[in-house]
Amino acid sequence: MVTPDRFERQSFLGWNAQEQIATCIVGVVGLGGGGSHIIQQLAHIGFKRYVIYDDDTVEDSNLNRLVGGTTVDEKSHSPKLLIARRTIFGLQSDAEVEGLSVKWQEQPEPLRRCHLVFGCVDSYRGRQELEIAMRRYLINYIDIGMDVHGTDAPLISGQVILSTPGGPCMKCLGFLTDEKLQEEAMKYGKAGSRPQVVWPNGVLASSAVGLAVELVTNWTRRARAYEYLVYDGNKGVVNQSITMRNRTQHNCPHFSLNDVGDPVFLEI
Amino acid sequence: MDYPPDQIQGLKDYCTSLKMFSEGGITYFLMEGIRLPDGCSPQECDALLCPIDRGDGYASRLFFSQQIASPYTLNWHVSDHRLAERNWTAFSWKVSIPNLTLVQLVREHLSALVRPQ
Amino acid sequence: MIELRIPRSLFQEMIDDLERTHPFAMERVGFVYGKMGSIGSDATLALLCRYHHIPDDQYLEDDTVGARIGEAAMSQAMRDLYDGHSHRLCIFHVHIHGNHGEPRMSRTDSRELPPMMPGFQSTSRNGAHGILILSADHAAAWVWLPKEKESRRATRIVVVGAPMEIFEGGKTW
Repeated sequence: MVTPDRFERQSFLGWNAQEQIATCIVGVVGLGGGGSHIIQQLAHIGFKRYVIYDDDTVEDSNLNRLVGGTTVDEKSHSPKLLIARRTIFGLQSDAEVEGLSVKWQEQPEPLRRCHLVFGCVDSYRGRQELEIAMRRYLINYIDIGMDVHGTDAPLISGQVILSTPGGPCMKCLGFLTDEKLQEEAMKYGKAGSRPQVVWPNGVLASSAVGLAVELVTNWTRRARAYEYLVYDGNKGVVNQSITMRNRTQHNCPHFSLNDVGDPVFLEI
Repeated sequence: MDYPPDQIQGLKDYCTSLKMFSEGGITYFLMEGIRLPDGCSPQECDALLCPIDRGDGYASRLFFSQQIASPYTLNWHVSDHRLAERNWTAFSWKVSIPNLTLVQLVREHLSALVRPQ
Repeated sequence: MIELRIPRSLFQEMIDDLERTHPFAMERVGFVYGKMGSIGSDATLALLCRYHHIPDDQYLEDDTVGARIGEAAMSQAMRDLYDGHSHRLCIFHVHIHGNHGEPRMSRTDSRELPPMMPGFQSTSRNGAHGILILSADHAAAWVWLPKEKESRRATRIVVVGAPMEIFEGGKTW
């Protein structure tokens, strides 16, 4: 049971912050390394309305980073969805959770009910598709991801991007590029398993949740409509991307507000 | 982007219904019930023609509503690709002939279904 | 469940226009257009995307009401709606009440605004149309779904972007 004392330490967020947080319908696509961190933090903070997607089950190789996952889950091939529900209901017994054990593209309507969506997917194309859907249905979108480059001298990097309707998109911010999409398209089906570890996911998820709380409560009074944070995992530093610092254009030429709503096909 | 009306009308000969929509500034043609070459199964499905390079390295693309069984093996490397709030699939095929009409473009893409690789 | 979503930039554009003084009208009104989004069989989503301000010279002098717009303003609205009807375009009449809290329709609003709806519905049959009223810190909407003669209160109005605001009926933030 949630008592008034539960959120006393975060009362600085605003006199009605908890109500704002509890009212917001939040979506999380991907409940793996990044998404599991996000779910945990959202539940602690007091988010109560969730739409969550993941069609995968727990394997031993996930347990180095899947927050809330246990060896029992691995032995019983628990769906990642189950772990997320367990985390949420363990903190918010009256939460409303719509959990879908499918790819979001197979059942997209629940995701459209969200006011804010976290994308924790592992491909550029996946991110692009999510952002297109979020722009179409006027939903704030926060994307996170990490990567490890090289084997002799590994470099850990990651990003947190806030993309809101009307503001610069991931292409505007220089994160999604034609070159990256092309290179990924060429490698399709040959990606293999990518290196992943828990602590960068934690840094990125925390930054993402921080952006979300600011968006919902405006506690900083400096409402950011877009953001691109870059994580250098070797130095342990999160900085604003250089593409943000030089940015003068605040709207987006890639998504028109006229393209919102269900696609309409015009008969020829 | 605008296309000559006669080119657009020409696409109708290849499908039961032709529609268009735009997303992200790109115009797509939805060809419902496109007739596939002999030797393919199914014989028809829905297809989505993108006549320009969307930035993925393909000068044009023909997406299908389902994977098609064809006489020769194709690399169906795109699945569950989201466009116009539907899922599409596509095989890897590059049409590099420039200045084709829309109909010629569709024919080039369809011919790949029955062409030895 | 009926929800309206408005991008922050559009919301601000509406407020900036509606808060301007008019040479003779006591208040300003406008039209905001949107498109429909499907989110389940028991829910309606209207995604507002474009605001149309009414030029000063399209108001009529009438000191019995806060604002009255003339034939030219209505004709333009209907033309815009017709141009977008194949895209399931929606239209909402919008104005501001100066007080705080959840807005209610005034007697004038109740008398003058609902009669616009049948014309909107016959012009864009598959769109939802209605009335949007903003206050200093809240918003409310009355929505006429396609083919329905009676309005329903919007469950929620969400301003997306930064900062987010969610106005739910019966609640004040």
